[in-house]
Amino acid sequence: MRLGTTKWQRGLFIATFILPTFLFFCLFTIYPVVQAMYYSLFDWSGSSDNKTFIGFDNFKEMIHDPIIWNAMGNDYFLVVGKIIGIMILATFFAVALTRFRFKLSNFFRSIFFIPNVISVVVIGVLWNFIYNPQIGFLNAFLSLFTEEKVDITWLGFTSHTIWMLLPPAIWAGIGFYMILLIAAIQGIPESYYEASSLEGAGQWAQFRHITLPLIWEQMKVSILNIMMTTLNGSFVIVMIMTNGGPDNSTQVMGSYLYQMAFTQYHFGYGAAIGVLILIVSLITTVILQRLMRQETIEIS
Amino acid sequence: MVSKTRLAALGIAALMAVAPLAGCGSSKEEAKQPEPAKTEEPAATNTDEGNKTGSDDGAKKLTGEFEIQYFVGGYGDKWWKKVIADFQAANPDLKIKESGGPKINDQMKPRWVGGNPPDFVYIDGPNLNDRQMVEDGQLEDLTDWLKDAKNIDGEKISDILAQPPQLFDGKVYDIPLVLNSWGVFWDKALFKEKGWEEPTDWQSFMAVSDKIKAAGVTPFIHTGKYPYYINGAILYPAIVSANNNDISILQDMAASKVEAFQSPAVMAALNKIVELRDKGFIDKASIQINHTDSQMLFLQHKDAFIPNGLWLPNEMAKDIPGGFAFGFIPSLTQDNGGKVVANTSTANVAIAKNAKNKDAAKAFLQFIFSKAQASQWAELSGAPSNIKGDISDSNAPSHVKDAAKYLTDPNTVVVPAITFNADVDKAMQDATDALTISKITPEQWVERVVEAAKKANK
Repeated sequence: MRLGTTKWQRGLFIATFILPTFLFFCLFTIYPVVQAMYYSLFDWSGSSDNKTFIGFDNFKEMIHDPIIWNAMGNDYFLVVGKIIGIMILATFFAVALTRFRFKLSNFFRSIFFIPNVISVVVIGVLWNFIYNPQIGFLNAFLSLFTEEKVDITWLGFTSHTIWMLLPPAIWAGIGFYMILLIAAIQGIPESYYEASSLEGAGQWAQFRHITLPLIWEQMKVSILNIMMTTLNGSFVIVMIMTNGGPDNSTQVMGSYLYQMAFTQYHFGYGAAIGVLILIVSLITTVILQRLMRQETIEIS
Repeated sequence: MVSKTRLAALGIAALMAVAPLAGCGSSKEEAKQPEPAKTEEPAATNTDEGNKTGSDDGAKKLTGEFEIQYFVGGYGDKWWKKVIADFQAANPDLKIKESGGPKINDQMKPRWVGGNPPDFVYIDGPNLNDRQMVEDGQLEDLTDWLKDAKNIDGEKISDILAQPPQLFDGKVYDIPLVLNSWGVFWDKALFKEKGWEEPTDWQSFMAVSDKIKAAGVTPFIHTGKYPYYINGAILYPAIVSANNNDISILQDMAASKVEAFQSPAVMAALNKIVELRDKGFIDKASIQINHTDSQMLFLQHKDAFIPNGLWLPNEMAKDIPGGFAFGFIPSLTQDNGGKVVANTSTANVAIAKNAKNKDAAKAFLQFIFSKAQASQWAELSGAPSNIKGDISDSNAPSHVKDAAKYLTDPNTVVVPAITFNADVDKAMQDATDALTISKITPEQWVERVVEAAKKANK
């Protein structure tokens, strides 16, 4: 009994941490995923107590559904746009607030972080007001420079309306990644910069050869995180700002899932879209990880 | 469901589950997947004797539990509280359970799916569609019962209904409780001040819109985010007018009959919207704004006309500027001298097929479809009830009385409320939006919707 006690105790100790978490993970993550996959094989309205097994027909139908392709295109447009926009701006602000020390840097740090504290719903409503063609800020601002009153319907173009969702999405995302990168930059020993400036390296050379390689790990995480949250979370901003319209031109997979499952009563099809989102996110994650594989440089 | 298919489905699901997990990714995306509906338990069908006609006017003592589901929205819940209290007082041995609230439709969904629904349901608000409930086999067939059901005052219910129930394949599953109407609003005071004539038909509508536009006001605004407003108040009445006031075309459209959408009447109606668009009468802001924003712009006199339902004055009560006087007409798309078309909108009541206390549910129907409850409805909810009767001396607001006048006028074509197939409805809404911003032609509108109707028929 006494034999191997320390080993046994160690095992027990680890298990007390892992088992409950694992159980909850199974209950709240694995189980719903399997459920969604199960329902995706049925023709089910979502409100009936009988459903018909149709195998992969929901997925076959998806291939011929132009809205799905459009939605997926919009999703990837937002992924690419947000990665580029957020990463450039967040890196710029992070560097500016750490490397170029100036008086108000703490103040700006808080200012840039504020959008992160605001709910996406509020952000959507806020930007709806900015874009409002009649009483919105944007048209009022542009009207200052023109003779005639500007009346552009920012969220009502016949196509490409999805472009207008990019600024709020980027604006809302910068703060968090900025903080992440600030933390990374602050972890770089000051001596590196001192040494390099003694060697005559300017700000750009320092950024390119010291900062960037040493924060690459955090940037990688940020890019993956932006990708995943965009594929799974664009739903909210789309629902608030455009409801997928006009004429489905701003539909993303998440909003189309909701539309199909809950307002058009094709729950099985909605579940199938959910499975599609899962598969697409996984594939994209793998591809992105491959693409960004680069030797990690560590501070030694 | 045969257990074999279920096994097969589970098997495939398990396979699909294992494959991505082996790749080990974050898979929290399914978190937003809908409620873990407990299904598959065999529908607890209650073998109630059920087949009671209305001949006995609730003389039998009602006992047991009786559950009522009601959505609380624009019409409030004052009436429900009152009528349930009255019904309880009349049936002291009945244990009434109220399941009401603005989110009740979503909250109760798992129970409908699980075969354990409430006994009585008021079908209103989002995510509850009577056509879908009928297709899902969730509602009790009331056809035979309604044939000779009498209310508590001994009046035959089908005789006193202002609008008959919608028929699904010739059968009645739910009964309209509210009689509301789509239509077009304007501000009488503004029109008087500017010397604009209040329109009565398409020609006068176009003529006055020209004047309004010349005066620097945009004639027409709608909510592009929810295009069913412009469909309900402009397009559908226009279709009926163009179809020689024959409303059967809308009923055929509701049944997703392809020929109905290809009718020249639909094309004529679509061309009316094109005319509005091409004359520059539609506010460009419309396409991207929601109903509240469009209503605000209307109340601020940025736009002269707005398609809406009779609930508008109630909904915007807090924001109506002083001196604002609502003018209302159910339709403006009829030609000079033509009949006004009132496309009504309603909220229905029904009994669940799997109800446990159908006797009580039927007695409750007999209770609420009475003159006394009808006038109480108009008073407490601010909308006309679906029971015939003069409300001119009730406490209902004046625009409701105006509308009631239209709805009872023999020169008005009254369209009983209809529910379209959800897919076809969405296709029509998207297409109308696209039409108003010149993205598609009327021909393409028809093409798209026909496609959706064909698919719905499969």
